[in-house]
Amino acid sequence: MSEEKLYSLRNPWFSISVGITVAIAVLSAVAGLIWFPLLQPNLKLSGIWDAICSAAGVPGLSTQAGAVPPAFKTSNVVMTPEMLTRQDQVSIGRGATLAQRCAICHGPQGVSDANSPNLAGQYAAVTYKELNDFKTGARVNVVMTPFAANMTDQEMRDVALYYAYLPRVPSSLVNPNLTPPAIVVTGAPMRNIPPCGSCHGEIDVKAGSPWLGGQSAVYIKAQLQAFASGARRNDISEQMRNVARQMTAEEIDQVARYYEAQP
Amino acid sequence: MTSETDHSHGPHGLGEAVAARIERRWAALSIVIVGVLVCMAAFIGIHQATMPQGRVETADPTTLHLSGEFVESNLGSALEADGSVTVRAIGQQYSFTPQCLVVPADTPITIRATSADVVHGLLIEGTNINTMLVPGYVSDLPIRFKSPGEHVMPCQEFCGIGHQGMWGKVQVVDQTAFRNMAASKRRLTCVD
Amino acid sequence: MLINKRLILSHFWLAFIVFGAALVLGAWQMFVRSPLNAWHFNPEFYYRSVTAHGTVMGYVFPTLVAMGFGYAISEAALEQPLIGRRWAWAGLILVAVGSVVAMIPVSLGLASVLYTFYPPMIGNPFYYIGVVLVVVGSWIWVALMSINLAAWKRDNQDKPVPLAMFANVAGSYLWGWTAVGAALELIFQIIPTALGLTATIDAGLARVFFSWTLHAIVYFWLIPTYIAYYVIFPRAIGGRLYSDAMGRIAFILFVVVAMPIGVHHLFADPQVGAGLKFMHSVFTGLVALPTLLTVFTIVASAEIASRLRGGKGVFGWIGALPWKNPIMLATALSFVMLGFGGAGGLINMSYQLDSTIHNTQWVTGHFHLIFGGAIVIMYFAIAYDLWPHLTGRALDSLGMMRAQLWLWFIGMIVTTFPWHYVGILGMPRRMAFYDYANPAISPQAFSVTMSAAGGLILLTSGILFLIVLIRGQFAARGEAGAYRFAIPLHMPVRIPVALNSFGLWLALMIGLTVINYGYPIAQLMVLKGTSVPAVYVGAAR
Repeated sequence: MSEEKLYSLRNPWFSISVGITVAIAVLSAVAGLIWFPLLQPNLKLSGIWDAICSAAGVPGLSTQAGAVPPAFKTSNVVMTPEMLTRQDQVSIGRGATLAQRCAICHGPQGVSDANSPNLAGQYAAVTYKELNDFKTGARVNVVMTPFAANMTDQEMRDVALYYAYLPRVPSSLVNPNLTPPAIVVTGAPMRNIPPCGSCHGEIDVKAGSPWLGGQSAVYIKAQLQAFASGARRNDISEQMRNVARQMTAEEIDQVARYYEAQP
Repeated sequence: MTSETDHSHGPHGLGEAVAARIERRWAALSIVIVGVLVCMAAFIGIHQATMPQGRVETADPTTLHLSGEFVESNLGSALEADGSVTVRAIGQQYSFTPQCLVVPADTPITIRATSADVVHGLLIEGTNINTMLVPGYVSDLPIRFKSPGEHVMPCQEFCGIGHQGMWGKVQVVDQTAFRNMAASKRRLTCVD
Repeated sequence: MLINKRLILSHFWLAFIVFGAALVLGAWQMFVRSPLNAWHFNPEFYYRSVTAHGTVMGYVFPTLVAMGFGYAISEAALEQPLIGRRWAWAGLILVAVGSVVAMIPVSLGLASVLYTFYPPMIGNPFYYIGVVLVVVGSWIWVALMSINLAAWKRDNQDKPVPLAMFANVAGSYLWGWTAVGAALELIFQIIPTALGLTATIDAGLARVFFSWTLHAIVYFWLIPTYIAYYVIFPRAIGGRLYSDAMGRIAFILFVVVAMPIGVHHLFADPQVGAGLKFMHSVFTGLVALPTLLTVFTIVASAEIASRLRGGKGVFGWIGALPWKNPIMLATALSFVMLGFGGAGGLINMSYQLDSTIHNTQWVTGHFHLIFGGAIVIMYFAIAYDLWPHLTGRALDSLGMMRAQLWLWFIGMIVTTFPWHYVGILGMPRRMAFYDYANPAISPQAFSVTMSAAGGLILLTSGILFLIVLIRGQFAARGEAGAYRFAIPLHMPVRIPVALNSFGLWLALMIGLTVINYGYPIAQLMVLKGTSVPAVYVGAAR
């Protein structure tokens, strides 16, 4: 047995097994890379090399001409999960100064009592994105638009980081014993409504989704209605409009009242 | 090797050569079974034109909304000059946009879709339409609906905590109804 | 001869303890997502549970069984004490530590990404580090199996390697190589991102790497089961193994063709070319071959045993088999489940039929039937067979063993058949809850309820299994004799080198991997602009 040479074409185990393996590999490659692609007229292949390259998966950039341009301003923020997640003391300091002009509506500590959003402890990426959208006109508000119009990109980042740095302050309406409504806990799957907390922070965070706890019910309700009607359209690729337009008026009320009472 | 007349019987009277012969026949049969299955799959693939996507295309998920074919205003169904329909959609945590697709029955349709964040899947219940949406790449598949009706379109790949809430819809309408709709709008959806 | 009994027993006990825990999670998942439960709960708990269940059942449990069984085979078949005993303990400790490291973030809800990882979703780094430790622990086993075989060969130059050890080493090589795919994905892609060293990851490339592991891992799970078919079953029912050489060929085929087929999990993916998908599809067809060969050999071995016991007739011999023997029962039930599961698998392998059921509940039903059913029931059989030899105490609750096996079989059928059915209806997998009140999916409610009932039966069977083993630990002492494997009908005296060594087959395995994976991996690696931002799961509020 020991004198039997395995790696020799004379050994049938070697020659047959290698031969069959190579034959199958070559045949399947010829069929998969050349023959089948050429049988498909819809691929519009320019020749054998094009067939091989496309079947092997050589990528091309998606180039479909004739896209219909938007009839309204959409957000131009490139949102990533790590956007503005690092604290920066210098930036926060500049933000504190800049934020003085926001205090009239948003409160000196970022907590408003005028139904404007509370900004204390808000995710920096959220504040930045909304400022940017006000500036570009993707979101419109008579008060905010002129404020944002004169801000530089760095100023928007500074303000956002400053507010993210401030601690969240529980509102006077906080009621931790309130039973969360079904629409908050489970959403309504078949209506494409996931649980609010799967994006807004209680369970998980989706980049660009604000923390809702303690926001004024009036504000939340107004925004949900605006998303539902299409009056507000700065959510990238309709991510919030898809949810809001599926909600009933009653559910919108429930959500607004629930989040107002949360820390 | 021993010859077939070998009678070195085992404990139950089965000679080694006979045992080996039966075994070889079974092995040959197994090979034939496997061969037939593979050829059948290849044959059906060609003749029913259900091959996987022919080309790999890329798209940057973070800038889909800025330019290119996946901007918000270009999503939905487009009637092409040759009478076919192209449907463009994106998947994102946790919805498809458009949330409701409207398409004509009995018409060749191309779905072009991609993901704006994580891996999603697009499945239309009651049909064989089923593809993955991988961020960075464009999924492109030819489809056809036999008859008008409504289908649900869940995301079939775990995409985060809200995955169970990611259900879209598909409305299949008859060809004339679709043409009438397409006369007044360039991109159609059934989102109210 | 079994010398390191405590080492082997520790592997099995750890395996079955984690199995029991994961089984409870599985049954809970079946319940909460069924119409039996009002779905007013945090969906994150469900995904957390699926992550834990999958990680334990997929990576920890079968790995420990393969390792423990592998050490037992090495000692019993080669009749030599295990070389590298300390290393073996180190491997076990690595697996145990890795499991704990992985499970802490999972149970805290910091890594609910499911055991298939799904980048660009990224969880807590310790989850992935834990999984890597488990794999590294098992690689120690791979090395030890190879070393023990080499030492034996040195001393027994002209003898055929016993089939049990041959198969065992084949399984270890297959695992050693197939684990590389996920290891590359974890070490070069996911862990750097999870640690914050980079903020982007190529999800398409990660899916290709994972597919490298994802399919052949099934054969790694399967090999202890096949070893039990070949070398435990014929002996346990008082028969002979029909053919030694065909067994070797079956295991060799697994080594060669189990690897270059993983892309069939990516038939519906946009980042791999159609031609490569076809090549993987062809090799996927070939992997049915060793199973077809095995079915023949094992059924023929059963017939030999039956005729030795006086069984007569073309089919009459089936009745004369020792049905009261738990190993007989387990093997027969395993074959039935393998048959159904294999038939389902043929549908998954062809890419036309696959599009009907891709990522639906069908797939979950399929791999639970094959892995949870056909494979795990033989893990039970292996434990029943080995226990008296490991503990020095008899397992005398035969009735309870049979009841346990039957319950497992019935539970698996009741769970997975409705699962397959709702998959055909298009029910997507891995959702925390479904609104069964909606008319579009209400027809699925009854089947899902049945599945949940099946889950409870499986849980009962699992508990019974642990009771049998625990009772065995406290039974009266009794010498079980030497642990032996089935003898072939015709003892091989001379065997071709090809069927007695692995070099050629490993070369073919690696060669085919390079052919079928080389281009897609290289191409995606050089591709610019397809790395996408990581989406961190369970991040700070």
